[in-house]
Amino acid sequence: MTTTVAVATAVPAHEARPAVLARPTFLGILRGEWIKLLSLRSTWWTLAATVLLMTGVSLAVAASLDTVAADPATGPGLAALTGAEVVSGGFQLGMLTIAVLGALLMTGEFSTGMIRSTLAAVPTRTPVLAAKAIAVAAVTAAVVALGTAVSYTVTMPLLAPHGMVPALDELRTWQVFGGTLYFLVAAALFSLGVGTLLRSSAGAITVALTVLLLLPSFLVFVTLDWVETAVEYLPLPASGAFLGGGEDSLSAVGDGLTPATGLLVVAAYAVVPLVAGAAALRRRDA
Amino acid sequence: MIEAHGLTKRYGDKTAVDDITFTIAPGSGTGFLGPNGAGKSTTMRMIMGLDRPTSGTVTVNGKPYAQHRAPLSEVGALLDAKAVHTGRSARSHLRTMAATHNVPASRVDEVIEMTGLATVAGKRVGGFSLGMGQRLGIASAMLGDPRTLILDEPVNGLDPEGVQWVRRLVRSLADEGRTVFLSSHLMSEMAQTADQLLVIGRGRIIAAGRVQEVIDSVSGAAVRVRTPRAAELAELVRGDDVVVTSPEPGTLEVRGIDAARVGDIACGSGIALHELSPRSASLEEAYMSLTQDAVEYRSTTTSPAAPKGANR
Ligand SMILES: Nc1ncnc2c1ncn2[C@@H]1O[C@H](COP(=O)(O)OP(=O)(O)O)[C@@H](O)[C@H]1O
Ligand SMILES: [Mg+2]
Repeated sequence: MTTTVAVATAVPAHEARPAVLARPTFLGILRGEWIKLLSLRSTWWTLAATVLLMTGVSLAVAASLDTVAADPATGPGLAALTGAEVVSGGFQLGMLTIAVLGALLMTGEFSTGMIRSTLAAVPTRTPVLAAKAIAVAAVTAAVVALGTAVSYTVTMPLLAPHGMVPALDELRTWQVFGGTLYFLVAAALFSLGVGTLLRSSAGAITVALTVLLLLPSFLVFVTLDWVETAVEYLPLPASGAFLGGGEDSLSAVGDGLTPATGLLVVAAYAVVPLVAGAAALRRRDA
Repeated sequence: MIEAHGLTKRYGDKTAVDDITFTIAPGSGTGFLGPNGAGKSTTMRMIMGLDRPTSGTVTVNGKPYAQHRAPLSEVGALLDAKAVHTGRSARSHLRTMAATHNVPASRVDEVIEMTGLATVAGKRVGGFSLGMGQRLGIASAMLGDPRTLILDEPVNGLDPEGVQWVRRLVRSLADEGRTVFLSSHLMSEMAQTADQLLVIGRGRIIAAGRVQEVIDSVSGAAVRVRTPRAAELAELVRGDDVVVTSPEPGTLEVRGIDAARVGDIACGSGIALHELSPRSASLEEAYMSLTQDAVEYRSTTTSPAAPKGANR
């Protein structure tokens, strides 16, 4: 059936009226995502929590150095721990809040219906995900840098007596600080990708935290050979390959990988879900 | 100009939109009328490139929506009053949308002013009433000053003053030469807001044209006849295109021929008529008659009205 509604009368000269000369650009889309990220209270809460957790843990570790050094059972192990690792010690907790931030950035749009407005404005879709990735990576990098700086400052008085204040002119210090930042940015992108694939906040946060934290925590107790190998390729253990970490830390499991492999494995966790998420975002109904 | 050809959408084995073809010419307000679940929102989401048609195509001003260089200046849409993040203020929401298209901040203030949101623009959308949400949706549709507007149930949840405002807005936008395509499940609403109607039921187009034409075309127009020789007269007038029913003894309702013809036939056979009255269908009757086979969620009680309420 062909149905033509409306009698095609002469159309007033509406074509000649561009009151708003508007055109989407990637920079504009990026600015839009940036405003989105910063205009939510939940963003500021998670960012503040990240800095607090990072600082809190590093303070706690630094404060316990006296006891650790005095105990003959743990004292010798202290030699393997560097000041930089103490300062960055809170990154595993910071990873949790950062993962939540990354996931909510996308799932919040699906749960509220905002995604329809977003995709109506950018019907090519993939630029939205790219812009979100850049925005969350930038915010994560900034907040991790801030968290590290605050941790460095507050732990200094406690580290000084042990001669452990990280030397800022040493490459090793910057490897740890930079590695922490790299890992947390990857964690944010990983959960953004998972959130894009799963769309549900609860689902995405559960999956992200399981892969990032729960699996390495539990599987570390399984002594089967192939499980031990597999665990090395989980993100947190893999980060140990370039972060070092004390004997007891989860990161230590990854000592089996070379630093370069560790970096690549972590990068894969960031990139693969994002690419899959981009494909899903393009294909699915909103 | 919106053109759909064989547009179909299935969700699993549920057919929401079933092979519809229509053209909406520019410079008019066209009402998209149908009961809840008829497929209005689904059709509009397909126009906006949000849902992918199972088959068929739909274009806006000659191209699929997604291929326009400046989508928000081409089509503005209110798809869902809830298509906004509840944690953001109205102004922030509009700013995020504006930023994508490099729409200046002054335009954000303009649409806030235009939709009467100035006093609540800084408040979080989560606390908005349905009516305020609708106004925000319309503000966001107007951001790019688009040639075509798609409004899904724009008067839903508005107070009487808001309803008046939407009617005037639709009128003035259409008078400016824009294409306005708005949906509703209420016939009376459409009659006051739109020039043309596209009536949909169970995913199929069941009528289209000017509002009055659609009403007139409906079989609701009947002739009521009272006569002592009802059975005899019924036999005489009954024909291929003529339907005769008898609501009560001695009374007939004749559809398919006009009152004059019924009178002539009766006169020719010497049948006395005690009443002969043409009954034109009211708006609501026309609507009911059009959609009675197409109501998806018919209420089990006897209420004849199209079911109202939440709409996706
Ligand atoms: N995403 C979806 N998944 C499954 N069914 C859907 C979906 N969207 C709409 N439907 C179904 O398609 C039909 C048409 O819905 P809709 O387009 O919302 O109708 P209307 O807007 O006219 O009320 C309804 O039966 C509805 O349940
Ligand atoms: Mg609807």
